[in-house]
Amino acid sequence: MSLELRNVGWNAGFKKIISDVSLRVTRGEFLGVIGPNGSGKTSMMSVLGGIRAPSTGQALLGDQPMKKIGRRNLARHIGFVEQQADTIDRITVRDAVALGRTPYLSLLTPWSGHDDAIVCEALASVEMGPFADRMWHTLSGGEKQRVHIARALTQQPDFLLLDEPTNHLDIHHQLGLLELVRALPVTVVAALHDLNHAAMFCDRIAMMDGGKLIALGTPEQILTSQNLRDVFGVAADIEIDDQGRCHIRYHAGSQKTGPIKKDRVA
Amino acid sequence: MINHDKRVLAVGVFAAGLISSVSFASATEYPLSIENCGTVLQFDAAPDRVVSLGQSTTEILYSLGLADKVKGTGVWFGPVMDEFKDVNASVPRLADNDPGFETVVAQKPQLVATQYQWHVGPKGTVGTTEQFNELSIPVYTAPADCVGKDNAGGGDGVRHEGFTMDLIYREISDLAQIFDAEDRGDALIASLKERQESSLARVTASGHDNVSAVFWFSSPEINSDPYVAGKNGAAGYIAGKLGVRNIIDSNEEWPTVGWETIARANPDIIVIGKMGRRRFPADDWQVKMDFLKTDPVASQMKAVRNGNIVVMDAQSMDPTIRLINGIETLAEAVERLSASN
Amino acid sequence: MFETSPVQQPVQPPRQSLAGRAYLVRAGVSLGALILLVGVIAMAAAKGETHIPLGTVLQTIANHLWQAGYDVDPIDAGIIWNYRISRAMVAAACGASLALSGAVLQALLRNSLADPYLLGISAGASTGAVSVAILGFGAGMVSLSLGAFVGALVAFGFVALLAIPAGRGAGAIILAGVAGSQLFNALTSFIVTKAATADEARGVMFWLLGNLSGVRWPDVYLALPVAVIGLLGCLWYSRALDAFTFGVESAASLGVPVRRVYVVLIAIAASMTAVMVSIVGAIGFVGLVIPHAARFFVGTRHGFLLPASALIGAVFLVAADIVSRIILDGQVLPIGVITALIGAPAFAIILCHGRVLR
Repeated sequence: MSLELRNVGWNAGFKKIISDVSLRVTRGEFLGVIGPNGSGKTSMMSVLGGIRAPSTGQALLGDQPMKKIGRRNLARHIGFVEQQADTIDRITVRDAVALGRTPYLSLLTPWSGHDDAIVCEALASVEMGPFADRMWHTLSGGEKQRVHIARALTQQPDFLLLDEPTNHLDIHHQLGLLELVRALPVTVVAALHDLNHAAMFCDRIAMMDGGKLIALGTPEQILTSQNLRDVFGVAADIEIDDQGRCHIRYHAGSQKTGPIKKDRVA
Repeated sequence: MINHDKRVLAVGVFAAGLISSVSFASATEYPLSIENCGTVLQFDAAPDRVVSLGQSTTEILYSLGLADKVKGTGVWFGPVMDEFKDVNASVPRLADNDPGFETVVAQKPQLVATQYQWHVGPKGTVGTTEQFNELSIPVYTAPADCVGKDNAGGGDGVRHEGFTMDLIYREISDLAQIFDAEDRGDALIASLKERQESSLARVTASGHDNVSAVFWFSSPEINSDPYVAGKNGAAGYIAGKLGVRNIIDSNEEWPTVGWETIARANPDIIVIGKMGRRRFPADDWQVKMDFLKTDPVASQMKAVRNGNIVVMDAQSMDPTIRLINGIETLAEAVERLSASN
Repeated sequence: MFETSPVQQPVQPPRQSLAGRAYLVRAGVSLGALILLVGVIAMAAAKGETHIPLGTVLQTIANHLWQAGYDVDPIDAGIIWNYRISRAMVAAACGASLALSGAVLQALLRNSLADPYLLGISAGASTGAVSVAILGFGAGMVSLSLGAFVGALVAFGFVALLAIPAGRGAGAIILAGVAGSQLFNALTSFIVTKAATADEARGVMFWLLGNLSGVRWPDVYLALPVAVIGLLGCLWYSRALDAFTFGVESAASLGVPVRRVYVVLIAIAASMTAVMVSIVGAIGFVGLVIPHAARFFVGTRHGFLLPASALIGAVFLVAADIVSRIILDGQVLPIGVITALIGAPAFAIILCHGRVLR
C-alpha cells in the first residue's frame, strides 16, 4: 500500500497554493514535512489525506486515484489529525474516540463488541485508557491531542497524517507525543514546525517553500545550513553526533543576514 | 274615534315639524363655531373646496348635493352608490386607500372631512390634525368614530358606548350646517328615519321572538378565526334596533372569535359581508358561503341548515350612511325567518 | 525517557455502550415522551375555548375510532374531531419538525444558537404572506398559506445562492442566512407600513405570530407525512451528524460525504420548516430550545437525539396550544407568545446549569 502525489497542484480561487508536488510515501516510514508559514504544508497534507481533491495532478492510494476509491474507503486507510479540532459537545473521551469507527458502521453493520475492543486498544496505545469516561472539555491540550490520535487509530489506518500535532503543547508533551507516534505500527506523515523534532524523529523530510516541494531526503541531506538560510531565513550550524543524528544550533541575533523570504508567492 | 284622533295628532305634529324644520333651515349664520370631537371648528364662510377621506363621508356630501365642492376623495371600500356614479366620475380620486399628506394639501382644501381618526387624527396615517391645522385647514371627523370610542389602541378601536344612527345624523346636520345646506340636511335625515321606522314596523308585525344573529365580515384565512361584529358597533346597533340578539359580546368593533364559540352559540341568522375588496379569499361572499356549507362544524349550525344566511353590503355593517340599507336587509330576513317558523 | 500518566494499567473491560443503564434511561425517556404525547393530544381534545364535558369528548373519540354509535350533538362532535384533534395533530407534527430541524442545523452549523429560521424561511414566509394579504398578489385566489410557502422557498433560494460565493462552510451559511432574513424582514415591514389598512395588517400579523385556528384534517394529511418522512430522512444521516462533532474537515476525514450531507439535510430541514410555517405561521423558540432540552435528557448522540427532539417538540407545542386557548377567557393568544414565554426562561435555566456546553 503506497500513498503518492503526482504533479499535484491546488488552487484557492485563482491563487496557486501548491503546484507540481510529487511525493511517494514509503511503507513504515516517518516522513516529516517542513517549511515556513505559507509554504503550503497544510494544503499539501489535505490533498495527501484525501480531504481535498487536487486541482491538477493526481493523488493516489495503492496506485489507485483517490477519486475512484471513494471517501469511506479512503477513511479506512488514512487517518488524519488536524492542527486544532475542538468541540463544545458534552461528550466523553470514549465517545470522541468511537467516532473513528464511522467508516466501518452502517445500518447493516451497527456497533458491536468488536468496535468496543478497537476503541479500548486505541486508548491504551495512546496511554489514555484511564481517561475513557472523562468529559472531553476537562482534558488538557496534550491529552486532547492524544485522544485525536486514538480516534485516528480506530480507523485502523495504514497511514497516519498529522498536521502540526505539537503546536500548542509544552515540551514534555511534544516529545512524548512524537515518541508515541513513532512507536505505532503505522506509516506516519507529520507536518512539523520544530526542525529539531524533525531531525530527531523523521526517517525522511520533505521541505516545502512557496507552494513547491523543493527537497526530499534524509534529515542530514535536508537540514543543512544553506537550506536553513535560504528557505527559513535563519543562520545555524548543523552538528552530526556519533549516531548520525542531526542537531541544529541556531545563531541568535544574526537574522539580518541572508535574503528575507517573502511569505507566499502568488 | 281614538284612532281618528291619533291620526289628526300625527298629521299635526308632522306639519309642525315640517314648519319648524323649514323655519330652522334658514341660512347658516357665519362666522360659525361648531363642536366636533372635542374641538371647536371655526368657519367664516361655507367652504368651496373640501377633501373627503372616507366613502361614507363622501357619500353624505354627495347626498347633500355638494359634489361640486368636493375636490378630492380617498379611502374607498367599494364602488360608489349607484345614484352617485355620474357625479363621482368628475371628482378627482386622490387614492383608493389613504393618499399622502401633500397630495391632500395640494388640492388646497378649506376643509378636510375624515371618516376615521385612523387616517386623520392624533396619529393619522395621512396626517395628524395638527399638521392640517398648521396650514389653517380645519379637520372634521365623523362623530361615529370619536364619540364613545377609544382609538388609542389603533386598528378598528374599541367602542365603549353603543353606536346609534344619531351619530350619522349628527354628521349629516354638521356638514349641512357648515356648507349652508341645512334644508337638504334635514330632508335627508327625515327620509332615513322614516325608512328605519318602517323596517322596525315590519319586524314587530312579523311577531318574532328571541332571534339571534352573528355578523361575519371576513377572515385572514378562510378556515381561521373570523372577524365578527362586536356589540357596540354599527352591526350591533342594527341587531339591537330590530330586537335581534348579537351572540358576540365584545366591545371591540371587529374582534376575532373562534368558530368553535360561534358554532356552540348557534345563531338563528348568519349575516355575511359582501365587499369589492379582494385581499383575503374570504372577502368574497361566495367563499364565505362555501365555507359555511362545507366546513364540518359550521355546516351543522341551524342557520346554515335552514338557509338563514343573509348577504349584506359590508359597508352597511359599518357606521356609514348605508347602515339604513343594513337595517332593511336584516328586517327582511327576520320576517322570512318568522314566516317559515 | 518521559513519564506516562498513571502507570500502564490493564485495558478496561469494554463497557458495552449499547446495553447498560445509559441506554435504558434514553429508551425510557423516549417511550415516556411518546405516552405523554398521546396523553397531551387527548387533553387538547378535551380543552378549548368552550367547555365540552369529558364524557362527550370520550364518546366522540369512540365513535370515530371504532364506530361506537353514541349519540352526540353534531356540533360538539365536529368541534372535538374536526377542530381540536386535527389541530393537536398538526401542532405535534409542527413541533416535531421544528425541533428536528433545529437539532440538525445545530449539528451541521456547529452552532448552539442555530434554528430553522436561520435559513431565511420565516422571514420569507412573512414577506409572501403580506404580499398576498396587503399587496393583493393572487387577487384573492391565493391563500396566505400558499403565499407564505412560496415566500419561504424564494428566501431560502436567495440564502443558498448567497452562501455559495460567501465561501463554503458553516460561517458562510449563517451569515448568508442572517443577511437574507434581514432583507426579507425589511421587505415585510416596508409593505406593511406603506400599504396596509388596519384590519389587513392585523390579520397578517396575527397569522405570522403562529396561528393554529384554521387547521383542519387536510392540513394533517400534509403535516404528518412531512414530519415523519423528515424524521426518517434525518435519522438515516444520524451517524454522519455525529461525525461533525469535531468540524467539517474531521467529518471528511472520517469518510462522510460532507457536501452531500449538507445539501440533503439542509434541504430536508428547509422543506419541513417551509411547510410548517405555511400551515401555522412562524412559531419561535421551538427549533432553538427543544434540541438543548433533548440533549439534557438523552445526550448528544444523534441516533437518540433526533427522535427525542421530535417527540419533546411535539409534546411541547401541543401543550403550548392548549395553554394559548385556555389562559384567557374567550380569547386565543398567538401561540408564538406562549412558546416564547416558556422558551426564554427555559433556555436561561439550561444555560445556568452549565449545559451551554451542548
